[in-house]
Amino acid sequence: MLGRKGKLAEVSKDMGKLSPEQRGVVGKLLNAAKQTLENALTERKNAFEAAALAARLEREWVDLTAPAAGAGLGSLHPLTQIQAEIEDLFVSLGFTVLDGPEVETEFNNFDALNIPPDHPARDMQDTFWLSNGHLLRTHTSPVQVRGMKKLGPPLRMIAPGRVFRNEEVDASHEHTFYQLEGMMVDKDVSVAHLIYFMKTLLSAIFKRDVTVRLRPGYFPFVEPGFELDIQCLICNGAGCPVCKQSGWVELLPCGLVHPNVLRLGGIDPEEYSGFAFGLGLTRLVMMRYAIDDIRQLQGGDLRFLTQF
Amino acid sequence: MKFSYNWLAEHIDGLTVPPAEIGKLITMKTAECEGVEAHGAHFDHVVIAKVLTAEPIPGTHLAVTSVDTGRYGVKQVVCGAPNCRAGILTAYVPPGHLGVTTAKLRGVDSDGMLASAKELGISAEDEGIIEFAEGEPGSAIPGCTADTIVEIDNKSLTHRPDLWGHHGMAREVAAIAGRPLNPIAADLPAGEPAVEIEIRDPKLCPRFSALRFENVTVQPSPLWLQQRLESVGLNPINNIVDVTNYLMAELAQPMHAYDAAKLQGGKIIVRVAEEGEPCPALNGQTYTLDSSHLVISDAGGPVGIAGVIGGGPSAISEATTTILLEAANFHAASIRKTSTKLKLRTDASMRFEKSQDPANTVRALARAKWLLEQVSPGIRLVGGLADLYYPLPEVAPIAFDLDWMRRKLGKPDLTAAEVTGILTSIAFGVTEADGHFTVTVPSWRATKDVSLKDDLVEEVGRMIGYANLTPVPPLVPSVVPPLPPERAYLRGLRQLLTAQGYTEVYNYSFVNEAQAAELGLPIEDHVRVVNPIAQGQELLRTSLLPNIKRNINDNAREYESFRLFEIGKEIHARGRELPEEIPHLAAVSFEKHGDGVANLFELKRLAGTIVPGCTLEPVEARPFEHPFRSANVTLRNEPIGRLFELHPSMVEVGRAAVLDLDLTRVQALRTAAGKYKPLRRFPTSAFDLTVPTAERELAGTVLGFIREHSGPLTLDVRYLYDYKGDKGRSMTFRITLGAADRTLTGEEVTAIRSQLLAAVAAKYQ
Repeated sequence: MLGRKGKLAEVSKDMGKLSPEQRGVVGKLLNAAKQTLENALTERKNAFEAAALAARLEREWVDLTAPAAGAGLGSLHPLTQIQAEIEDLFVSLGFTVLDGPEVETEFNNFDALNIPPDHPARDMQDTFWLSNGHLLRTHTSPVQVRGMKKLGPPLRMIAPGRVFRNEEVDASHEHTFYQLEGMMVDKDVSVAHLIYFMKTLLSAIFKRDVTVRLRPGYFPFVEPGFELDIQCLICNGAGCPVCKQSGWVELLPCGLVHPNVLRLGGIDPEEYSGFAFGLGLTRLVMMRYAIDDIRQLQGGDLRFLTQF
Repeated sequence: MKFSYNWLAEHIDGLTVPPAEIGKLITMKTAECEGVEAHGAHFDHVVIAKVLTAEPIPGTHLAVTSVDTGRYGVKQVVCGAPNCRAGILTAYVPPGHLGVTTAKLRGVDSDGMLASAKELGISAEDEGIIEFAEGEPGSAIPGCTADTIVEIDNKSLTHRPDLWGHHGMAREVAAIAGRPLNPIAADLPAGEPAVEIEIRDPKLCPRFSALRFENVTVQPSPLWLQQRLESVGLNPINNIVDVTNYLMAELAQPMHAYDAAKLQGGKIIVRVAEEGEPCPALNGQTYTLDSSHLVISDAGGPVGIAGVIGGGPSAISEATTTILLEAANFHAASIRKTSTKLKLRTDASMRFEKSQDPANTVRALARAKWLLEQVSPGIRLVGGLADLYYPLPEVAPIAFDLDWMRRKLGKPDLTAAEVTGILTSIAFGVTEADGHFTVTVPSWRATKDVSLKDDLVEEVGRMIGYANLTPVPPLVPSVVPPLPPERAYLRGLRQLLTAQGYTEVYNYSFVNEAQAAELGLPIEDHVRVVNPIAQGQELLRTSLLPNIKRNINDNAREYESFRLFEIGKEIHARGRELPEEIPHLAAVSFEKHGDGVANLFELKRLAGTIVPGCTLEPVEARPFEHPFRSANVTLRNEPIGRLFELHPSMVEVGRAAVLDLDLTRVQALRTAAGKYKPLRRFPTSAFDLTVPTAERELAGTVLGFIREHSGPLTLDVRYLYDYKGDKGRSMTFRITLGAADRTLTGEEVTAIRSQLLAAVAAKYQ
């Protein structure tokens, strides 16, 4: 009908035989007929195409509840996560983050922290001694010594890391665990500053307002030295099994930096004073996730690790 | 360390703080209290009773008795003690105490219990029921009273030699409670020293004091003394030894009693031991000593290891009638060294290693004399005090200003009167004028604990109570601290790895010898732990792989496939220097099924995301690697790590590939983004090229060859795919050409293509 040799073309071939008036009429009629036919054709064609597409798409049905290929998201170790969180907190307060080695000198681990040889305080930290005459650091405190020398006063620093104690391992004791050492040295740093700072910091860590108290604690590298307790977050101080009915949970040791330690770090204790504290990251992780077996943290079991 | 409330109260005038609260007060002001427990509450109910009749129950070792208990009337009690007989006075425990109930034993009703000294908590004596020489039925057990025991954490007493005895702790409690401390008399009659003393090294023994007694009767101590020792965890032995232990627990002064008849010669010598010198000790062991040990010696050799344990042959026995009583002072570090070396920690060594007060020896002897006269009737002092004393250098008076103390504590309203009051209450000598303080330190705090003004901040602070300080925000400069680049890098790397589906593990820094040997890591390259207490801790890891291998096999039991990683430090020995600690990444891809190729390429992909542009160079495999699946990872021709499949013999099941990167090298080779390059304005041309090769030709080698021979206008050479046929392998590459300043003409492209084809044909056909 519509092609060059179609019926309509035949009609238009004869148009020349018509008078101009007739030609006008017939031309219009022809165009209208052509338009109608073309529209009908397009419509049918579109319909067929649409049907074909629909049929193809229908065949392309996919079960989207089937699992995705490839690996999902992995997990960061909970100690990595808490460490990053607390580092960010300290950085926002102007603290420098420092690293220290796992193998330390006896001097940095003990003597420079006011724990001379044969001091009974050395018993408080069962030490792994090494064949090269050094030791595995028993705390992150030696980084204080490195930090004072590197940064000079005034300074604010933290040092998170792995520490070692020569202990039998069971559900609540590990020979390898994580601490975060913190230190602030400036003019006129006082116990009152320490209390304010620890309360602010711990409220940020626990994401709620915490009540802290200081009581005497003996650590040779601070004077005075404190044990810092927080009011039990489970019972809010009323007494429960977690706080052994005391209403308080022992959280971290802290104190004003001992003048001997400042001096060995190259800082004049008459001009500067400071506070220092040691936060147990392993302990915090266990508290946060209610982990009851410390061995899980270094057991490499993905059933445990993929939960974080 | 256990403290008896009754004992503390004897030293304080008018103590009204109830036992239940004393633990908390001590915790907040002095040292950590671990618990407060009632002790001997049953003594309010147990009575002396007379056994009226005792009839054996046939076929048993038991007897049915009728006892007159006074207060509770006459009771029928079944008793199995061998010494149970009519007529004796013993102790009756009514039902409801010490776990005693009304019961039927062998069908016989028993209403209460007749008790041994052990059951009563008086001593360890349990061979029969306790017997009394006198006493009224119904009266309380003489000298035994209900008490409260306060247990203090030893660690929190490390710096306080004075708190290893009740008198010292009583001083603290008295100060806290605001009551006076009862003084201890230290008077001894004058007389010729009863023994000659020689101290060879006064540094190791600043003081040695002794008394000699005769007409001694060795017998069990009175019950009050036995119960008191028992209540603080010391075993009653006999009256003489009990007196020495009592004074140790009261004044923190360890003492020792020798049987004077067994000592040879008239002289006591304090000296270092000779090499290999034996010393038989009173615990039945003989210790072989060396010159690092200090001994107490008579003419015949060592009679005791100084400050640690007494000798065996001169120990007090029932036959002893004369004694020499020692109260000495020894150098703390020397005692600690000896006790550690001999693995012998005694109540004495524990106290001496805290630096005891040399002024204490004579006071303890005076008190011992007073007590011995009570527990060994008829005992007589022979001569006077023997006392050789080399006083330690005195601690200089400590000066500080009130303002300094205020600033240290952060308490601007602290008054001079408060400071003076607190320091005086704990026996410091204080003079003050216009806020300038001069403080003298009492002898028992001067041995190590207090020598600086900072030490006094603690004394004032704890007695004021830290809760009475108002928290103050510190004023600090506002700075943006630098983040060490390595920390920032490792943090980013961990994020990347988890985003790629890898889960982080933490492993120990230790490996054992078997683990190291299995991976062919030379044992002698490791730093060794000299005192491991458990298997598997003997070496520090020089590679993350031994523990990673364990992670693989452990998790293979639970998972079909997994990806994990660890970032940790390799520790490489450098002689006597601190070892080199090199952070490494170990990443693992594991599949239980399949040929393992996917694991290798997964890790290759991962390596490319961590270190863009790195390449793999196949190398000879190490014994624990798959012999044909091992390569060095390199960046700009520098090795940065290794990628391999674990040898099938290393895995229990499945296949595991490992990527091990030296992160120090990776970081050193990182390049910062430079200046931006303008985008290309002219189109590029590309053509594909298929190269027939030998079966095990490396794609990397062919690609390198093409790059080398395709001229300077080559922008990119990319491997597309390969085909393995009978005659070998053919690989198809796409070569992209372009120039910065024009569109290449067809002729130029053809020329490059022909030139390349000729080179490839010459090399590979």
